[in-house]
Amino acid sequence: MPYLLSCAKLSAWIAGAVLLQMIGLSLFVIGFFPVKPALSGVSGPESYRAPKCDSAEDREELPRIPPDQLRSSYREMSGISPFYDRLILVVIDGLPAEFVLGKNNESPTISMVEAMPYTQALLSNGKATGFHAKAAPPTVTMPRLKAMVSGAIGGFLDVAFNFDTQAFLDDNLLGQFYRIGWKMVMLGDETWIKLFPGLFMRQDGVSSFFVKDTIQVDYNVSRHLEAELQSDDWNLLILHYLGLDHVGHIGGRNSILMLPKLKEMDDVVMRIHQSISSPHDIHHRRTLLVIASDHGMTESGNHGGSSYEETDSLALFIGLESKLPEYAPATCKTVSQVDLAPTLALLLGVPISKNNAGILIAEIFDFLSDSELLRALELNSWQLLRLLQAQLPGLLCSNRDYRHLEYERGLGSNACKVSSIEDKFGCLFSKATALHDFWRSQEGQESDEFKGTLVAYYDFLTNASEWLSWRATDKPLEFLVPGIIALLVSCCMFLSILFRLCKEASLRRKHQHLDSVNPEMEWHLDDTFIIVLILILVISMGSSSMVEEEQYIWHFMTSTLYFIFLRKSIQLLLTAEAKKLCNGNKGSQYSKYYQFCSIFVVLVCGRILRGWHQGGVNWVHLLDISTWLEKVGHHFIQSIKISSMLFVVSFGIFGHCRSKSKGNFVLLIRGSFLASGLLLLYIMKYQDHTLTSSGPSSTLITQIVFLTLGVTVIVGALAFPWIVPLSNDASSAEQLSMIHCSIHQHISHPFLGLRCSSYSVGWLCMTCWCLLQLLLQRPTNAMPMSLLLLQILASMLYFSLHGHHKEWVEVSALYFLGLAGHFGLGNSNSIATIDVAGAFTGISSHSTFLSGILMFIITYASPLLCFLSMTMYASVKDGDALLSGQDVNLGVLLQAMIAFPCVVPVSLNSILLTMCTIILLLMRNHLFIWSVFSPKYLYACAATVCVYIGVSTVAATGIYLCSVYFFRTRKKISSNQHTATKNPN
Amino acid sequence: MGGASATPGPRSSVSAAIAVHAICGLGLPLSNWISRNFYAVNLVSDPVPTIRFALAVEASLAILCYSFLRRDRNQCAAIGRGVVGLVAGALVMASGAIILGAPVGMKYWAKTAYWSLLMSSFTVVPAASVFGSSWEDWKRLFADTKPSGIVDYMVCIPAHAAVIGAWIGAWPMPLDWERPWQEWPICVTYGATAGYLIGLVVSAGFILFCGRREQHVKRE
Repeated sequence: MPYLLSCAKLSAWIAGAVLLQMIGLSLFVIGFFPVKPALSGVSGPESYRAPKCDSAEDREELPRIPPDQLRSSYREMSGISPFYDRLILVVIDGLPAEFVLGKNNESPTISMVEAMPYTQALLSNGKATGFHAKAAPPTVTMPRLKAMVSGAIGGFLDVAFNFDTQAFLDDNLLGQFYRIGWKMVMLGDETWIKLFPGLFMRQDGVSSFFVKDTIQVDYNVSRHLEAELQSDDWNLLILHYLGLDHVGHIGGRNSILMLPKLKEMDDVVMRIHQSISSPHDIHHRRTLLVIASDHGMTESGNHGGSSYEETDSLALFIGLESKLPEYAPATCKTVSQVDLAPTLALLLGVPISKNNAGILIAEIFDFLSDSELLRALELNSWQLLRLLQAQLPGLLCSNRDYRHLEYERGLGSNACKVSSIEDKFGCLFSKATALHDFWRSQEGQESDEFKGTLVAYYDFLTNASEWLSWRATDKPLEFLVPGIIALLVSCCMFLSILFRLCKEASLRRKHQHLDSVNPEMEWHLDDTFIIVLILILVISMGSSSMVEEEQYIWHFMTSTLYFIFLRKSIQLLLTAEAKKLCNGNKGSQYSKYYQFCSIFVVLVCGRILRGWHQGGVNWVHLLDISTWLEKVGHHFIQSIKISSMLFVVSFGIFGHCRSKSKGNFVLLIRGSFLASGLLLLYIMKYQDHTLTSSGPSSTLITQIVFLTLGVTVIVGALAFPWIVPLSNDASSAEQLSMIHCSIHQHISHPFLGLRCSSYSVGWLCMTCWCLLQLLLQRPTNAMPMSLLLLQILASMLYFSLHGHHKEWVEVSALYFLGLAGHFGLGNSNSIATIDVAGAFTGISSHSTFLSGILMFIITYASPLLCFLSMTMYASVKDGDALLSGQDVNLGVLLQAMIAFPCVVPVSLNSILLTMCTIILLLMRNHLFIWSVFSPKYLYACAATVCVYIGVSTVAATGIYLCSVYFFRTRKKISSNQHTATKNPN
Repeated sequence: MGGASATPGPRSSVSAAIAVHAICGLGLPLSNWISRNFYAVNLVSDPVPTIRFALAVEASLAILCYSFLRRDRNQCAAIGRGVVGLVAGALVMASGAIILGAPVGMKYWAKTAYWSLLMSSFTVVPAASVFGSSWEDWKRLFADTKPSGIVDYMVCIPAHAAVIGAWIGAWPMPLDWERPWQEWPICVTYGATAGYLIGLVVSAGFILFCGRREQHVKRE
């Protein structure tokens, strides 16, 4: 019976689907996680000069100017006065602007007004100016602080790869202050200290870890307030109060603790304001007080998302010398949170940060003269133009002359109806500068010209700022939609290939067992359960808690699947007993008990693996075996490690013990196993003494182990297919020690040689991989690794004895085992569980590439082990049912051997990846999109890479083994024919 | 199915089956009501006493009721089989639960023990009381799931429903809702109980449907 799907056609389809999946995935990733080109370096004196077409001239190396000189030169160049000498920045974590300023131009509720009497008095008599500062999502503290001090709008990767707070290296306000010699004091949330290490003269960090604490956390900030306000050695005082955020987390917006907390904050404002406005200040310093919040909160007190309640943060300026003191603004303007950065920079006389996308808040600059205000706008425009140039390289370079537009002034932005975005910004900017020049030449006489210039500058600034923030947060549909469509199409392609393969296999079996009733090919509970399992996995990916605790799902589902296998083997156990009475097939009856035991081994090992690492987020405090071992002591870990290593090495050595032929080669392989085992022992001994493997001799030995294992695998895999006996050889049947039970019946199997070679190669790869993992993994992971090996071998034994599952069910079970083991080795969906320390084992010089590869090998140890076992799986499966005909060619052979091990994992992964993508897109406004779903998606992408690597390894091994076997058979047949033709002569 | 196994005895008429189901089904709410009102304990606050009380009620009801449906003549033997089945089934249930992830430790063993005894009284006890050590029947009901006849439905459907209910009931356990009922055996017990009650109703429906058909057949 010919195959419906020829081998070439099948592989072409698979390759096409894989290609489509890669394209779709990369399109989606590019679209969903836009990488924002950030300018490196810091703004210097060049920011007071107009930008030119080529930005190269800006990159001139600055001579080291002493801070005082730099400060005065900035003042000189900026042309704006007066400046504030000191800034007090009070950050009240999680305070919604609504509490202070009210919502929709209405005043805040009575209770809120009563809770903050002093602040409200300042607002109503014009001493304070408040704004709704719209924060960009994700509304969590660290990215918001970065936005406030740098004015930049962060992309996703900024958040994803800064999962632990690291020093903030981009250009920012604090760095600028430091450069002009300001002394800074920081009290409050320790995030600041992590972001700006070494910048503060005095600091007292409080941790935001104890969310239940609302009193002490703020007292620890306020207790220094008196002393700091008395002293005059600082220029910048940052106070970051966490208590209000904690109140929100505990009880929401309407918590009974909220009003007392607001009163406490009002007292802080009063103390500071009275201190800075007292006439006793002998130094006549002018101090600006800014009350800001990093984000708002929802009704229930959470934050992180992009709803109005969460993004509505406060910016309150106190101490401004307003022109119109009696005018109390009835309406509070809404600005963007990033506008704080340029506003503060211009008020305090430092250059605007390079990546700032904000625009200065004009109301604050009311006290400036007209020319100074226009100058401030000009500086802001220059900075934004430089940033635009980084993204639009052609800006300002086109020869087009926008001067003619000068005559159309007064038409607003309508005058710049041009096609390209570069031309639009060029036009807006030229218009503003032309008007500014014109106004200057008029010596600032006409207020009409002034208003026109102001409007033109604002036109440019708002357009540029909007475009920049759109670029940073926009998810372009022209990438996302084709990406998702490509993923869906490739998923459908994989599923249709899988479906056709299954149909073909069942047809073939029916063809074989035409005479006998064949109950195995019906739809069974195990088939149904795998589909249910996939459905449950897909549904659970939509719930953040389930994603956090994914290890439970995998263990639960895999164990349940094996329980279903157990049920099935019990079915057959009892049938076999009934049959035994008829024909007394003793060997078969024993094999049923083997089946039963092997499933039991898989289940018990799975339970131990689950208990080994308490992954996830919510139950980390529960005791698990690995932490218990670490507590008990080093010797236990060491002995467990050594015993599991002995287990793996002995498995490696005795896997071939029954093969009598070609003894020398097998001896060689065994010798190399033993050698690497001994070296590993030595390394463990070494680690025992120094606890680190950083010494040069240890590195050398590690490299020798790498080399030995690599050479063993490559030489073994290349040589085995040539030296195993071809077929019809009784001694070669003995070699399959694991699967001798099923071999009994098929002793004259035509493809025994092929099966022997794939069995040996699979065995070799698995043991070498386990030895490598024993070297790389954490010491506590040695036991789980050998448990995993045991699980895989047990399920292999079960599958070889039990011919009643469909092939795709068995391959999926192996794949699920690998994924459950992935979590059993201590991995989770948070980036924090990646073992970074192990990635530097045996690397003598720092290399990101090599350690990245090692990190991947460590993280995906268990799925890759399962892929290596697929090679062995191809040998334990009696494929003879599929290969009955004599007209066997290479393609048919290949398809029978590796079609299922390749197609099933790719299809399963494709379903999971596609669903994960769709869920990520649906959840893009979810609270935990950055903390839970995006890391999960990164893991899904890495798992896809792992599947590609694994499947291509299986395919390459299969193709090599089959072609060598085919070649040898041909040669044998031709030589037989040769002798046959010779003999009669 | 096999001739000897499926012959409905004189006691397994439709009305008797419904009565047994009703007694077993009402036993659970009754024990819950009693433990809540007389002993002032409930499942969430004191899982062990509550399950212990429910177990005492349910196991005795199940052993007594199902021993009336026995195959052989000896009532005492059927009760003895039920007791042995209770303990043996509890061992199977406990090992199954632990393999599927139930916590192990000194402070959990009482919970696990009582829970598995309760599960055993839902699943194994009826089969043990009725069929004893007849492996053919056990295999037909639990490995192949091919019940036939009123007694088979009565044993098979509630047992499977209880196991599936317990399996589904385990899902909320890892979630971060911080509810007291998420603790091990509480939500699994809820799931098993709900599954068992649903199974009883479904089984009663099957029995009514099949019983009527059988009567039709007899009449014809």
